[in-house]
Amino acid sequence: MEKGAKADEEEETNMAAWLLGVKNLKIQPYHLPPLGPHDVKVRVKALGICGSDVHHFKTMRCANFIVKKPMVIGHECAGIIEEVGTEVKSLVVGDPVALEPGISCGRCRHCKDGRYNLCPGMKFFGSPPTNGSLANKVVHPAHLCYKLPENVSLEEGAMCEPLSVGVHACRRANINPETSILIIGSGPIGLVTLLAARAFGAPRIVITDVDEHRLSIAKMLGADEAVQVSTDVQLVDEEVARIQNAMGCDINVSFDCVGYDRTMTTALNATRAGGKVCLIGLALSQMTVPLTPAAAREIDVIGIFRYRNTYPLCIEFLRTGKIDVKPLITHRFGFSQEEIEQAFETSARGGTAIKVMFNL
Amino acid sequence: MGKGGMSREDGEEENMAAWLVGLNTLKIQPFTLPPLGPHEVRVRMKAVGICGSDVHYLKTLRCAHFVVKEPMVIGHECAGIIEEVGSDVKTLVPGDRVALEPGISCWRCDYCKEGRYNLCPDMKFFATPPVHGSLANQVVHPADLCFKLPDNVSLEEGAMCEPLSVGVHACRRANVGPETNVLVMGAGPIGLVTMLAARAFGAPRIVIVDVDDHRLSVAKDLGADDIIKVSTDMKDIPEEVALIQKAMATAIDVSFDCAGFNKTMSTALDATRSGGKVCLVGMGHNEMTVPLTPAAAREVDVIGIFRYKNTWPLCLEFLRSGKIDVKPLITHRFGFSQKEVEDAFETSARGGNAIKVMFNL
Repeated sequence: MEKGAKADEEEETNMAAWLLGVKNLKIQPYHLPPLGPHDVKVRVKALGICGSDVHHFKTMRCANFIVKKPMVIGHECAGIIEEVGTEVKSLVVGDPVALEPGISCGRCRHCKDGRYNLCPGMKFFGSPPTNGSLANKVVHPAHLCYKLPENVSLEEGAMCEPLSVGVHACRRANINPETSILIIGSGPIGLVTLLAARAFGAPRIVITDVDEHRLSIAKMLGADEAVQVSTDVQLVDEEVARIQNAMGCDINVSFDCVGYDRTMTTALNATRAGGKVCLIGLALSQMTVPLTPAAAREIDVIGIFRYRNTYPLCIEFLRTGKIDVKPLITHRFGFSQEEIEQAFETSARGGTAIKVMFNL
Repeated sequence: MGKGGMSREDGEEENMAAWLVGLNTLKIQPFTLPPLGPHEVRVRMKAVGICGSDVHYLKTLRCAHFVVKEPMVIGHECAGIIEEVGSDVKTLVPGDRVALEPGISCWRCDYCKEGRYNLCPDMKFFATPPVHGSLANQVVHPADLCFKLPDNVSLEEGAMCEPLSVGVHACRRANVGPETNVLVMGAGPIGLVTMLAARAFGAPRIVIVDVDDHRLSVAKDLGADDIIKVSTDMKDIPEEVALIQKAMATAIDVSFDCAGFNKTMSTALDATRSGGKVCLVGMGHNEMTVPLTPAAAREVDVIGIFRYKNTWPLCLEFLRSGKIDVKPLITHRFGFSQKEVEDAFETSARGGNAIKVMFNL
């Protein structure tokens, strides 16, 4: 299959990467719905692979979301407006935009409270049964498409999605110039949290990981200290001591970007009384952790699910250079059958791959 | 040993207190008070309640990481009458009836300066070793931690301000208000004061659960909208969550786990609505195994509670206005003699019908 769409009569056939079964992705036609008055049609140009995409790819599920029928994969995307609906005033053809993936209902109490990320009727790109956006084109509400400034690339636009998780976490945890923070896990989410925390003014940031290479990236991206830790549960106390030593002052907020018993235990033990632990990494269902001693020090555990109202801020951070996400994009692939398979394999492998990006 | 202090040969009363001298061993013995500082008052104790932590110290000589290494006066939930005031004390006079806030913080550390003095690492708290408690004829205490009782609030109610403060502090941290529908796990003394506080903060609907029928009936009498009997079996959680949600009939905004076990915490995490809060008040186990991730993925936050801060004025106002009535919680009363001290602790330890056991001195 060649890259991009096939010219078919006078209309291009829209193609997308469909998840058909476990580890089975196929580029196939993707028929778009008609354009509603408040929708836009976007030619997708950049799309990043997320851990959840890989999880869907490998297991056909992610937490409570189960892929029961073929579904287009992918959700971290940006592109160029091709067509606008009749009521769309804020965007025109040719505008480069970053897409916020989730369409909430606008009627439930969560939406009306402004916590639309918790909407039970949320339709989110690449979360079954909603088709994703690894496609030539998608149709999307205009209000979820954010125009990119001239100095922000389409790849950076696609990076707004993972960056949003970090930004949302920093908001919920109230990161500011007085919060010294610990980040557990130096993968893509740990790194965007690092960048976001710095942008929110965190004065001192210590990051941990089991992998030296990932720690070196974190150091390069501005972590004050990088501490290598193990997966050995016996060593938690010793590691907490090393982390606190590296911080040199009280740890106000810890972000667990991994989400295991061990990482959460480390976070709960390392954080100062009255501080916060933000659980971002969603790995296990049941966790065994020293919750009581932490609660008895009035440490609060803050939950994070995706993000809300973060795109304008992300774009502004990128525009001003307060955040530079470009170093996170380590691998690039085109939109062909062979390349999408390689891309997912690369992302799944981890290692030196942080963000794998498609250029369409 | 008679009730009250013993007269010494020189005519001065000897101050007596209930000392924890060993495992399961309480003895009424002399308790020498320090000289009165300029900002302190001497208080004649009149009412002292027994707390679960007092019982725990009696039975095990420890509570969490606090260890009783030498004899210690027990008791901390107290109220009494001012006998003498220090030279710089302007706000209180002898004869004033006061409720005592047990903990003296340092006022120099970051926590104190931020107003979170309950987290002060140097906190000196009645009957948390090595600090002596207040089950005694008299104690010396900072005047700023003695709160004058309104005329219509009794000394026993004054002593109840201490456990009530836990409920009040939890309601504040969880931001309970006229829109928060509340679930309370556990209908023991702490569950009950939390329920009373939540109602006073305006909670429109409160469901309370427990394993014990009697405690549930007390909760119903005290104003719970619905009561549900639950088990100790983890397997029953999904069914119980369904029952609880049905009883609430609307989304559960805040859950208070006043028991602090895996089952109660797991139930609370599952039952609370997305974006809600679960307040961990009870301290059952060190390590807990709970469905933390699914809760976090619904942005259910877990709020920690340790004692209280700045709660006495509000508790006294609630009692004065009748917004809260703690009197039904006082189920057993004892005097201050060796035998009665032993009987009182045994009654409190037994649980059952006993909610708050109160000493009258």
